[in-house]
Amino acid sequence: MQVRLTINGQPHELDVAPHRALADVLRDDLALTGTKVACGEGTCGTCTVLLDGRPVLSCLTLAGACDGSELQTVEGSTPLLERLRAAFTAHDGFQCGFCTPGQLMSAAALLERTPSPSREEIRVAMAGNLCRCGAYEGIEQAVAAAAEGG
Amino acid sequence: MTAKLVKTEAVVEGRTEVRWTLVEEDDTPEFEDGAATRPIGEPTPRITARARTTGSARFTVDIALPGLLEAAVLRSPHANARVTSLDLDAARAVPGVRAVIGPGEGPENGDSPLSDTPGFAGAAIAAVAADSADAAEAALAALAPEYEVLGFVTGIDEAFEKHDFLVDPTEHERGDPDAALAAADITLEASYIAPAQLHNSLEPHAAVADWRDEGLVIWSSTQAIYDARATVAEAFGLDPERVRVICEFMGGGFGSKFGVGPQGILAAELSRRTRRPVRLVNSRREENITAGFRTPAKMDYTIGASADGRLQAVEASAVMGMGSGGWAFPVLEPVKSIYACPNVRLMVAPVRQNLGPSVAFRAPGVMEGTFGFEQALDELAEKVGIDPLDLRRLNHSEADPESGKPYSSKHLLECYDRAAELAGWAERDALRGDGRIRRGMGAASQYWWGGGGPPAYAEVRVGKAARPAITVGLQDLGTGTMTACAVIASERLGIPVDAITVYAGDTSRIGHGPFSGGSMTLASIAPAVRSAAHHVRTEILGLAAEMFEIAASDLTLEDGEIRSVDGTLRQPITEVTGKLGNAWISGSGSRGPNPEGMNVNTFGCQIAQVAVDTGTGRITVERIVAVHDIGRVVNPMGARSQVMGGILQGIGFTLMEERVVDPTTGTVVNAGLEDYKVPTIADLPEVVCEFVGDPDPHLKLGVKGLGEPPVIPTPGAIGNAVAHALGVRLREAPYTPRRVLEALGA
Repeated sequence: MQVRLTINGQPHELDVAPHRALADVLRDDLALTGTKVACGEGTCGTCTVLLDGRPVLSCLTLAGACDGSELQTVEGSTPLLERLRAAFTAHDGFQCGFCTPGQLMSAAALLERTPSPSREEIRVAMAGNLCRCGAYEGIEQAVAAAAEGG
Repeated sequence: MTAKLVKTEAVVEGRTEVRWTLVEEDDTPEFEDGAATRPIGEPTPRITARARTTGSARFTVDIALPGLLEAAVLRSPHANARVTSLDLDAARAVPGVRAVIGPGEGPENGDSPLSDTPGFAGAAIAAVAADSADAAEAALAALAPEYEVLGFVTGIDEAFEKHDFLVDPTEHERGDPDAALAAADITLEASYIAPAQLHNSLEPHAAVADWRDEGLVIWSSTQAIYDARATVAEAFGLDPERVRVICEFMGGGFGSKFGVGPQGILAAELSRRTRRPVRLVNSRREENITAGFRTPAKMDYTIGASADGRLQAVEASAVMGMGSGGWAFPVLEPVKSIYACPNVRLMVAPVRQNLGPSVAFRAPGVMEGTFGFEQALDELAEKVGIDPLDLRRLNHSEADPESGKPYSSKHLLECYDRAAELAGWAERDALRGDGRIRRGMGAASQYWWGGGGPPAYAEVRVGKAARPAITVGLQDLGTGTMTACAVIASERLGIPVDAITVYAGDTSRIGHGPFSGGSMTLASIAPAVRSAAHHVRTEILGLAAEMFEIAASDLTLEDGEIRSVDGTLRQPITEVTGKLGNAWISGSGSRGPNPEGMNVNTFGCQIAQVAVDTGTGRITVERIVAVHDIGRVVNPMGARSQVMGGILQGIGFTLMEERVVDPTTGTVVNAGLEDYKVPTIADLPEVVCEFVGDPDPHLKLGVKGLGEPPVIPTPGAIGNAVAHALGVRLREAPYTPRRVLEALGA
């Protein structure tokens, strides 16, 4: 089926089979491999991308259902994303980095809707993104630092 | 530089390995006391941060080559079975399928990872490679396997009763434990059970193999590119130099990714047959039933002590619930090695179960063994009527209690003192409360190896623009080794870390680097990097001496400049390197052997503070104080992150993580992350982390390892804190709400 969508500001026209997950289309068809898949069944948050500004699990999202949408992935560049990148770096908000793209997307979604989140709000918003290396302290500090007034 | 072959010993997770290694002559000076070491010892962000935050970091699962085939594996749904029917030809007939291999097929000189007598649910039976993942899935369905289901064992007790041992039980004795136990003023018996913890590295086990006429190139998510190369070369009868293993970025391993794994072997075989690149990636569920687990253990301790709490004898036994593979992890090592105790008897029985292989998991054996023994010691402290930390101080050993050898350095007593101070240990009884929420504080000691050792080689090159490149034959699984290498070279070269590039994760670039494991990586590579950088420094200063007509001994490199000690000369390093054109100044370095006649170990103490809701049974870890003795700290930022990671995995083990096997089918019922709980950001406690002790005076650069140490004492400290809070001891981890409520008799 034909799908038109904008990815990181670039228009795309894709021909995808209806059963294909957005994560697979991004990674395999568009070589946007920054989006990672760690569980493939919506339990770890690793594959999080922003669909019209909302964080979604791209492993459970059908590419065919994204027609007309605006998509943001870790490959994109916005002032907020750059601020988050600098903060994740300064606070060591990652170790292996495999969960980092999803963490950045969830953090960006949080700060878009809640520019100055409390510690509890950060924890609630980020609790769906697993980090097995255990970089949560750095992640929490980075999100706080990238927030308004942080 | 002259090189020679020397025989060296290195302790790898409790096993002593003797190796012949090529070592270069090394004239790199050690730091003098009080000398500036900058940036060594200063917090340094990861040099890979940009790649990791923009999605440009390439992991094995990201590798896509022209003509790439996707592979998939048929796995047994039964814990034990015989395949009675398998339609390989039907799978081959599926459109888009390029190769199908069945039981017994595989590399010429290696064991096939495929079997028609699968011994656990998840065991591999057949593998396919196809143009797309969909076609590969269709091929698996077309195989239409039929099974004769056989009897199985998936319980530690049942396996022990059958005396079915995966490896021979071992016994170890020193002194006369029977006589000492009979003569002891106090005796105590205590039992603890450790769960099967699943690694759950977020990047699953994966390989991409590309069989070319000139040799095999294989991308592997591996903690050991050189071990991976050796395995593949042997299995396929290739010269090692014709196999290139690449692991550019890696999404965690935690002990589960040594070597190339069945993924690498199968991908290589399928690529050999199709002459196309083949990618094989575990699903999360495949990962959690086949890629390994921390071995569950039932541990029993009988302790004899003097009336004042001095250990006289410990008799300990452990039944380890191994799966279909693995080695007897040193689960009773803490009994043998942490404290002065003249009489010890240890018995370990590793039983076989119809489960996937047991695999090393961050401080394998020692973490779960510390969980049990450190709690038994608190039980002893209570019986003696002594402060638990005082009991540990009383039984402190200045030398290795087993061999009598001295330690290269040991600052454990300082760890106790500092941790107690930071935790507010003296006031801990005031925490407890008598309402619904009870609080408690508990401590545990940490013992591990971590001295590293040869072989490890490094090369440093500096070109025209004075942007150094370091090449090391290791892989960075997320620990920050590459950044630490840049920090070490930066000090010698006087060039900032952010101007340095580190090349790693490729066997074609340089000789052997250490695997990422055993807390050995940085301790192994650091002196080699320093030595290589020192050689480059010497050469730059020599050229500068000629150019500026100042003796090289009066020149130094700092902040990108060549400076004279008297302050009269300050020139950018590019004044010298700018004359190089397209040439390099290069230097190589190798890791020398460890000192003879002494033990190299890391030590530490953690103190946990917990709150227990006696209504819901929920335990919250509020605070962990972690004080470790790891020698010189190269990068405090990376070191703190390692400690955080260890603590969180320790919290997972103690409070929530447990593989559950259905006893009626022998299958894992919680192989997905929906049901197998790992800590989230909501479980993050406050962590106070410090390092004590000077650089180890007997090791080059004084660096010991840190990968394992922080995970080791966390579970025992939490267990002791829970017992302090409740006045009741929980014998089996994880301490789920159900188990807490049961212990409270609710």
